[in-house]
Amino acid sequence: MSIKLTAFKWVPPFAQGLVRDLRVRWALEETGLSYEECLIGQEEQNSKAYREKQPFGQVPVYEEDGLVLFESGAILLHIAERSEALMPKDANGRARARAWVFAALNSIEPPVQNLVAIDLFYANEEWAKLRRPGAAEFVDVRLRSLSKWMEGREYLEETFGAGDLMMVTVLRLLRHTDILSKQHPLLEAHRLRCEARPAFKKALAAQMAPFAKYAPPA
Amino acid sequence: MSELTIWTYDWVPEPPRGFVRDLRLRWACEEAGFDYKVRTVAFDDRETNHMAQQPFGQVPFLEDDGLEMFESGAGLLHLARKSDKLMPRDPKGEAQTSQWTIAALNSIEMVSVPWWFLKISGDKDNVLAGWMGKRLDQMESVLSEREWLCAGRFTVADLLMADVLRVPDVRAFGDRPATEAYVARITDRPAFKKARTDQIAHFEAADQNRAAHR
Repeated sequence: MSIKLTAFKWVPPFAQGLVRDLRVRWALEETGLSYEECLIGQEEQNSKAYREKQPFGQVPVYEEDGLVLFESGAILLHIAERSEALMPKDANGRARARAWVFAALNSIEPPVQNLVAIDLFYANEEWAKLRRPGAAEFVDVRLRSLSKWMEGREYLEETFGAGDLMMVTVLRLLRHTDILSKQHPLLEAHRLRCEARPAFKKALAAQMAPFAKYAPPA
Repeated sequence: MSELTIWTYDWVPEPPRGFVRDLRLRWACEEAGFDYKVRTVAFDDRETNHMAQQPFGQVPFLEDDGLEMFESGAGLLHLARKSDKLMPRDPKGEAQTSQWTIAALNSIEMVSVPWWFLKISGDKDNVLAGWMGKRLDQMESVLSEREWLCAGRFTVADLLMADVLRVPDVRAFGDRPATEAYVARITDRPAFKKARTDQIAHFEAADQNRAAHR
């Protein structure tokens, strides 16, 4: 089996370590699958050929023996389905693991992404100042529920799995704030526990490596 | 045959009726010909009354022979695995169905829901309009080249994408004929109509119950 993963040559510092190919790299490291990377720049990203593979011009794209997939969540599920490293064997455990992947993508990421956009892209605009408290409150409501769930648990379910991986890559988006460390210590501990895994460290290093090499001249 | 139960609220106010997300699971069951029961949690106190089943106090959640799962997207893929009417059986077809299901949630709805929320909040200068327009244009170019999102046939991904795109404000935002034709075609399916009618009837019956208890 030969796996090819498309990622960016370079992104600005605020996005480094957060680009969605991290999810796929991490999953591949957890399952012990090797892959080849294909790095693209803005020109390729906007090309017709790339849009055929990725209609929204995003990364990652995953290619495996003729199968071309986009959406990091779908790629993670595709990898996880075939390895006990990310999903337990029993049917109920598998269904729960999938539910957590969707929860990270559809219940947690939208409010988090909304707050991130306000903070990173529009911080100085008047409307952003007005809207930030509401956006932060929405994040807090969801994270309070998640914290409640994490009481007495090390991982979302019995053992580390695809849901933890996805959830941590979403929670990492808040790294420019102290929301996790100050208000949600259980989630911060969960994030640190998962990020201490060798597979995560390897995946993060692999994403970061090209950014130094392809950095635009200062 | 397993016992399927879809959980939703016992009542919701008028505006979201026909759009509450249990509709997605009802629709999938109707497409597949699965029998299912509908059970409810209270809409009042929803933030806390069913946290053991749904960590965020949302609906729907799905029960299948003792297995409980939340998140409508996960529920849809679970149902899809049980019927080839919802997803092809070959690994490639499954992967592509899952890809477009997640695209509907994480590439389109991720933008359309916050955009819609700003819109109904009365924000005239909606800052998400540009991003929203771009995503819908990208979908328009996909849908102008094909009838179905993947595998050359109807899948649960079409069900979900059409459900995300059928929101009236989304449909009215710009002129995208291929998208409009797609939404019209998918929501013309008898299974959708039945699911929608049943949901609306469920909440109407709840109105009468509520009135009787006042």
